[in-house]
Amino acid sequence: MKALDRKLLRDLWHMRGQVLAIALVLAAATATFVLSMGVHRSLVETRDAYYARNAFAEVFAGLTRAPGSLVERVKAIPGVRKAEGGIIQYATLDFPGRPEPVRALINSVDENGRTELNKLTLRSGRLPQQGAAGEVVADESFVKANGLTLGSRITALIYGKQQVLTIVGTGLAPNYVYALPPGDILPDDRRFGIFWMGQKALEAATDRTEAINSLSLTLERDARVADVIRQLDALLEPYGGTGAYGREDHLSHAFLDNELVQLSAMTRVIPPVFLLVATFLVYIVLGRMIRTERTQIGLIKAFGYTNAEVGWHYLKFALAIAVVATVLGCVSGVWMGRAMTRIYAEYYRFPFLTYLLDPRVFLAAAGLSFGAAALGSLGGMRAALVLTPAVAMTAPPPPVYRRGLVERLGRRAGFSAVGHMIVRHIARWPGRAAITVFGVGLSVGLLFATTQFLDSSRAMLDGFFFRAQKQDLMVSFIEPRSEAALFALAQIPGVLRVEPSRAIAVRLSHGNRVERGAIESAPPDARLSAHIDIDGTEIELPASGLMLSRQLADKLGVRPGDRVWVEELGGRRSRQALPVARVIEEFVGERAYASEATLLAITRDAAPVGSALLRIDPARRDTILIRLKDMPMVLGVSERDTTFARFESMIDENINTMLAFYISFAGAIAVGVVYNSARILFSERAHELATMRVLGYHRREVATVLLGELALLVVMAVPLGCLLGNGLAQVMTAMFSSDLFRLPFAPEPASYGRAVLIVLAATAFTALLVVRRVMNLDMVRVLKGRD
Amino acid sequence: MNFHGEDLRKIYRTGETEVHALRGVDLDIEAGEVLVLLGPSGSGKSTLLNILGGLDRPTSGLLTSGELDLTALDDAELTRFRRDRVGFIFQFYNLIPSLTAEENVRLVTDIAESPMDPARALDLVGLAERRDHYPAQLSGGEQQRVAVARAIAKQPGVLLCDEPTGALDSATGVRVLEALEAANRETGATLVIITHNAGIAAMADRVFHFLDGRIARIERNAVRTSPGKMTW
Ligand SMILES: Nc1ncnc2c1ncn2[C@@H]1O[C@H](COP(=O)(O)OP(=O)(O)OP(=O)(O)O)[C@@H](O)[C@H]1O
Ligand SMILES: [Mg+2]
Repeated sequence: MKALDRKLLRDLWHMRGQVLAIALVLAAATATFVLSMGVHRSLVETRDAYYARNAFAEVFAGLTRAPGSLVERVKAIPGVRKAEGGIIQYATLDFPGRPEPVRALINSVDENGRTELNKLTLRSGRLPQQGAAGEVVADESFVKANGLTLGSRITALIYGKQQVLTIVGTGLAPNYVYALPPGDILPDDRRFGIFWMGQKALEAATDRTEAINSLSLTLERDARVADVIRQLDALLEPYGGTGAYGREDHLSHAFLDNELVQLSAMTRVIPPVFLLVATFLVYIVLGRMIRTERTQIGLIKAFGYTNAEVGWHYLKFALAIAVVATVLGCVSGVWMGRAMTRIYAEYYRFPFLTYLLDPRVFLAAAGLSFGAAALGSLGGMRAALVLTPAVAMTAPPPPVYRRGLVERLGRRAGFSAVGHMIVRHIARWPGRAAITVFGVGLSVGLLFATTQFLDSSRAMLDGFFFRAQKQDLMVSFIEPRSEAALFALAQIPGVLRVEPSRAIAVRLSHGNRVERGAIESAPPDARLSAHIDIDGTEIELPASGLMLSRQLADKLGVRPGDRVWVEELGGRRSRQALPVARVIEEFVGERAYASEATLLAITRDAAPVGSALLRIDPARRDTILIRLKDMPMVLGVSERDTTFARFESMIDENINTMLAFYISFAGAIAVGVVYNSARILFSERAHELATMRVLGYHRREVATVLLGELALLVVMAVPLGCLLGNGLAQVMTAMFSSDLFRLPFAPEPASYGRAVLIVLAATAFTALLVVRRVMNLDMVRVLKGRD
Repeated sequence: MNFHGEDLRKIYRTGETEVHALRGVDLDIEAGEVLVLLGPSGSGKSTLLNILGGLDRPTSGLLTSGELDLTALDDAELTRFRRDRVGFIFQFYNLIPSLTAEENVRLVTDIAESPMDPARALDLVGLAERRDHYPAQLSGGEQQRVAVARAIAKQPGVLLCDEPTGALDSATGVRVLEALEAANRETGATLVIITHNAGIAAMADRVFHFLDGRIARIERNAVRTSPGKMTW
């Protein structure tokens, strides 16, 4: 081995602490990148594989009632590959002792397991037996959440008739990845379950012999979804069709898709920022580390090595770090990516898991690490390489200290010589001090920018729940009702206020863009609901015209003032053009709103009430729920507080789990940067510190000089870090907002505190390590050389 | 301050190899004495000096200074010993570049038991006017004189100098030695100087000749020549 290579190995070993710390910074960024690329891609792949394996349909339609033979006519529509008809029926389940209503959505299933579309995957037990009444397969989460087992019996009210159901199996299906209770915005495993019952048994239970009320289709590869839907709607019109729709409007799919979009937004925004910040930090930290090698570089050059040889030598040093970082980052990224994907797959109830990672991700990760390290080392070497060996070998030109303001203040404050050392060292190398301050500040900023997303989700919750929803209960009806239903609700003792929530199903179109949805409305004097803009302001419904959420407006490509075609689905099927009065910035969802008057203009008689918002006397909650449960018109009841809790736990499980990883990586970066800054500080001053020891200063006192300087720099870094963090967070939030969902920028002061505390803890920890160095300082050795 | 050493040995172990830096040194140094250590490179001079000053410990042997048993002191006690009694001067001045001449001296007087005024210490080495200058603004000789001022300011019992003139020309070297001798004269500090320059031996009461980790020969000068009259 060449002597220079030996030096390389020895230097690497000698500086292993710093080498590891830099590698840690790079590895954290690399791991973030690998983790993110892996999780999102794997989830999408898993979902797609699940969809394919279980033949998730592409077009869906609901209708009142049609003969089973209709399926053949549907199959004849050009572009349809497969079609299947079935029955879907809500049922009320009776759990003795539970006041709140529990519902099930019962789907028909071929008893022989020959269902072609939306296939059921059995998780335990068996399929219902042909002809056996009351045997059902229940969805796994419902069974778990309610403490049921195979063989459990439940009394159910189906189509007005009481029947005892026996759970003979548990299962999953691709059309219910998310099972949303009627009128609710979130799954609720305790109160809502998906059941599968034998085709014949369900026909009997719902008086639909040889009849169907739902259709699922898959299409030929080149078929146009919109065309098929148009023809299907025409075909179903006489059977009370409620409008066919594609996957994008399928509740479960849309919900899952939205979550994946959020995840992908996070994975597209955070890792690049991490990589950028880490690259920059490595650039400055490694650069500074190599700058301390200046005399050695001079010496090597004095021996006759060329600049290129010296450059290559230090480049190898950097590359060694990059190798460590890449390996560390990829291994931990893959490991965490797997764990993370497993958590998500479980959360989404995918029956299996595919973990996939594009090999190019590793290449990109390696490239980025190597690039960052190479840039850093070249930057550090440049200064030394341009000098002649003789100049490089002498210690850097002795600093000329000047008396500045700090100086005079220090003098007045009666600083000891030690105090002067600290202040002057900083004042003398403002560049170096600035780099340390900037590096530490940037890691404070990165931490803050990452943690403040927790505040965003909190603000989102706050906007969505506390301010927008003020009801205690939301009651949804089996089918849209008239005003009479509201009076019936108001009669229940303990109900303090009832407000209708009206909605009509519509198809909105602008040019050739079509979106299916609902126009929602609230009474003019509504007190139980409000529309909150992303910046927190409350917005009134426009007197005329529509108010669209930003996402819907973007999809339709409209701005305030434009007109959109509104086609009523069901009812009179009226079609008219309405102006867009305003666009509201909401966090998630594509929604349309209008005043009750506008709604009336569309439907031409009072728009039906789809659900009602109730304010109740909390003391009478149970009796009210029991009353509601017994009302035939009531389909579902959701309580604001439990919905809120579910929303919270969803954010926790979904977004925050990922954030937790990111935050820990940001923490690792902070530790790496602070450690390196402290170590460089130490090596720059080792000579002086040893001199102080020789002069009779105790270790404790010597450590003060070093820690004092470190503390001063970190203290300066804190406000800078908060500023940088604020800027970084705004940029990241803005990057999010360009997507399908947006986040409010609403950092809590506590988040600054949290980021600062983590960095201070990292500093304290590093300080301990560095103090150990001071403790072991070998005076004699240091004084032997001149530097 | 006096020293008494018996059979001092120092063995450096690095892996398999052992280096015997001191192979049994017996010595008696009297308080107020001026001592010069001469000897070829690697013969153990610096090792002995470091041990005398409490920077290092002998591997075996006995070393006392007054009532203090230096071999029995723990680390903190050795630091105290250096802080209160020992003044060091090295070939490379080891000044703190971020402190002015006066502040470099204050670095020591801040912690010493009964220091002299830093201004006076600088006066003794003839640098009163340069007190506000930083090391970078001083010549090598001036820097070394600041180091001397720093060493004597605490009024140490002993001044230990490892090649104090090694990096200086003869005229400048003489000024440094004069400052050291003045300190010896005025404060009664014992003065131990390592040098490769046999000419300097003339200023000593006694000269220790080192060879291969031992004191091979001790030479006593009948009269001390003042540095100003020495030539080399
Ligand atoms: N830390 C150490 N580890 C190993 N050997 C050492 C160490 N310090 C000194 N030595 C060895 O001890 C011996 C004595 O060294 P010392 O520094 O005392 O010599 P010296 O007489 O001062 O020489 P010079 O005149 O060159 O300064 C030398 O052989 C040296 O190599
Ligand atoms: Mg020596």
